[in-house]
Amino acid sequence: MGYKYIGKSYIRPDAIGKVTGKAIFLDDIRIPGMLHATILRPEYAHAKILKIETGEAEACPGVVKVVTGASCHYHYGDNIRDLVPMAVDKVRYIGEPVAAVIADTPKHAKAALEKIHVTYQPLPVYIDARQAMSQDAVLIHENLGDYWHLPTLDPVPGTNIANRYHLKKGRGGEGFGEADVIVEGEFDYPFGSCAALEPHGAIVWFKEDKTIEVWSSSICPFIIRDDLALSYGVPAADVRVHIPDIGGCFGYKSDITVEQTIAWIASFVPGSPVKWVATRQEDFTSTLIAHGIRTHMKIGAKKDGRLVAIQSTIYHSTGAYADTGVNISIAATHNSTGPYEFPHCEMTGYTVYTNTPAVGAYRGYGHQEAQLATERMMDMLARKLGMDKFELRAMNYLGEGKINALGERMYKYNGDIQTCAREVQADVFGKELPKEDEQFFYGRGFAAVMKSPKGAPFSTKSCFMKMNTDGSVNINMGGAEVGQGLRTIIRQVAAEALMIPPEKIRVYNELDTQFSPYEWQTIGSMFTMQGGRAIIRTADKLIKVLKETAAQALKTDVDYLEYDGQFIYLRSDPAMRIAVGDLARGYITGDGITIGDYAQAAADARLPRYANPDKNGQGSTGVTYTFGAQAVELRIEKKSGKIFVDRFSSMFDVGQVVNPLQIRGSVLGGVTMAIGAALHEELLFDDEGHILNPQLFKYHIPTIKDAPEQKIEFLETPDMIGPFGARGIGEHSVIGAAPAILNAIHDATGIDFYAIPITPEKMKQALEGMKEVAA
Amino acid sequence: MSEMIQFTLNGAERSVAAEPDLMLIDVIRDVFNLTGTKHGCDNATCGTCTVVVNGKAVKSCNFPIEKAANAEVMTIEYLAKGTVLHPIQKAIAESGAVQCGFCTPGIVMELYGLLENKADASEAEITNVLSKHLCRCTGYEPIRNGALMAQKLMQARAAAK
Repeated sequence: MGYKYIGKSYIRPDAIGKVTGKAIFLDDIRIPGMLHATILRPEYAHAKILKIETGEAEACPGVVKVVTGASCHYHYGDNIRDLVPMAVDKVRYIGEPVAAVIADTPKHAKAALEKIHVTYQPLPVYIDARQAMSQDAVLIHENLGDYWHLPTLDPVPGTNIANRYHLKKGRGGEGFGEADVIVEGEFDYPFGSCAALEPHGAIVWFKEDKTIEVWSSSICPFIIRDDLALSYGVPAADVRVHIPDIGGCFGYKSDITVEQTIAWIASFVPGSPVKWVATRQEDFTSTLIAHGIRTHMKIGAKKDGRLVAIQSTIYHSTGAYADTGVNISIAATHNSTGPYEFPHCEMTGYTVYTNTPAVGAYRGYGHQEAQLATERMMDMLARKLGMDKFELRAMNYLGEGKINALGERMYKYNGDIQTCAREVQADVFGKELPKEDEQFFYGRGFAAVMKSPKGAPFSTKSCFMKMNTDGSVNINMGGAEVGQGLRTIIRQVAAEALMIPPEKIRVYNELDTQFSPYEWQTIGSMFTMQGGRAIIRTADKLIKVLKETAAQALKTDVDYLEYDGQFIYLRSDPAMRIAVGDLARGYITGDGITIGDYAQAAADARLPRYANPDKNGQGSTGVTYTFGAQAVELRIEKKSGKIFVDRFSSMFDVGQVVNPLQIRGSVLGGVTMAIGAALHEELLFDDEGHILNPQLFKYHIPTIKDAPEQKIEFLETPDMIGPFGARGIGEHSVIGAAPAILNAIHDATGIDFYAIPITPEKMKQALEGMKEVAA
Repeated sequence: MSEMIQFTLNGAERSVAAEPDLMLIDVIRDVFNLTGTKHGCDNATCGTCTVVVNGKAVKSCNFPIEKAANAEVMTIEYLAKGTVLHPIQKAIAESGAVQCGFCTPGIVMELYGLLENKADASEAEITNVLSKHLCRCTGYEPIRNGALMAQKLMQARAAAK
């Protein structure tokens, strides 16, 4: 398309601050009079607290206060209000805050922590949803029935089921009557961690004037603001939340979690700011973890390959609190069709309390977990039908006129998965596969993917712009920059909309609820689409202000004026014009009388026609979709079982590429992360609920040596909602890696895996088993 | 009285009282307020705390301050001269190697330790030093590209001298 600034690789406006070490992250903030907190974690993952002795800790050097949760009488949460800032009378997971020390230095706070003595009465521990769902299971939340929750949720009091979501399309499970062939299986996407390089942290200051000031490494300042205001009974306007630069998020810095704990601690020392930054261990044990999703899936098809029915059950081991996980279970459930149309769907998602840290958002948000099942099953179904796996998929892809599980109709502008699939197939499967040799098995695998955001009725993003007398523009938005590059996107979209060079646009750096325009939270790969739309709306308003002022100065009608980025001019006579800078403060006439408004504007944008699900679990809750295809070429070393990903190919229909360098970077990173999940990342628990590998030298995230060569292509079928046709892409690249890799392992060895990660040990064991069968 | 440790930090003579378990990163961040050096893990795994000591890249989070006695310590803050970036900073900024930027200072210092000593380091050597650093954002390709671009800029700079 003929865009001037969209589609070009501008360098990030925050790059120089970051390469010089001057970008300010949470831990870099120091406030005069600041105290430091450390937090005691329990010895048991599920236990009653019988007694906490704090006297010895209180007497330690530098200690200002020792805090427990004993007097805490409030719960918090955005979806289901089941969270407490600190354990009150029981602990529900191993990383839960039990007590805290506030001291003058982190060292003193740490030393005193060891002097707190707690007596527990252990309770049974459940790690997996199925254990916690058993009839005789002890309740993790005895008062589930008393918790406030969104009207769309359906908790089951008296059980550990925090929510039950059910979707029925067509005749549901009865649809299998039309099937000639049925495949069924259960797949596991185990616990993991986002493991951003910057650990979580927060500073909270209960000020003498009864306002609350917060700094956090979070992507949702307005949720933190509103939630703390509710918990502490102050007006939302009196809670001010600052967000500095964020060192990676990938999901787990969304929602409100550690901020409530630090607020609880800081509330005991009003007047003093209190800082806490997670150790890496705490980042694993005491912030949000990921996944924990088992998908039981049944797919039925006609002999010719037409899909007729799907039944999927999501067992989500959501951890000790469900507020941050419940929407992931729901997203996993209704997106478990993958990118296919099924006339009949019967889908159930269980959000289940267990004794692990709460599961929260992780890039992909339920999609990669459930679509691991779908894309494995499509390969298995093709085998059972004796059909080509690409042909089977091509017959059933969602596309123009097709209806997804939610009942949403797909349009051409949702993108062209058929082309993505064909291109990726040609790239990876178009050449001869190397033959098995002494050292290696060789395999290729494919996965097609689909993702929608998880929205909310109030999920808006907003923009504020002001023009200066030199025609340059300042822009403020509420979007959190976590590394995804939204500051660059804002600049380019605004440049295009305002018809001025990006260099004339300065984008905000930090977020501050006092100054930033409102945003729900920066999630769901939605900033480019929704934020971009807000930018265009704001630019339109700003141009309107300029024209209204110019109409007075030029003594004409607003609709007789044109704007070109530099001037407002008469349509009939472009020489009759006023420079935009001369209109910025209103137009100052020769005698000093000034007419018109200051050239500034604000606007916001939601996902159009987002709606809550109806009683069938259906509704316009996805609104926007991005489709794509991914494939892998790998080698399996026979001796060690080690899997080498030699090449990874992706193609997504993103509507419009805004910045080629950044979008490639996004997919490169997402694929690498997902390969980590498929091959080695798993947060391991023992039966007592202890985490066995809460350190980066035990929980291996990919290094440069694990990163494969990647081919990344984009298709551009313009979107109807997004700015200049652009769609979301931030999370989509993580979805296909695990199923593509498992499909490739089958291609190489004939072995079917149903769970990740496929570590060398597991691969080797399976290869040995295969030899035994062969013998 | 605890022993005073003398060293040079970014070209200036500095001293600090030795304390048990006091690591170089604590002195850099908490005593001298140079916050470009980051804490990303508990045990020298992630590389975000990398600084250059006597010309060599080291992890400052497990570098006891006593070992810095009489040494020349250089942090990320010392590389740019005013608005003029070091070629490594320029290349890393332009190659797409920066996303969240939390790993960036450590990686820049690692490359400084390598390339200022060995301008003709092979790509395998570059990959080897980069494998001591974790990045969750980029998939590493743009970091490798940035390192190679930096090498070219530094070779050009040397040729111009």
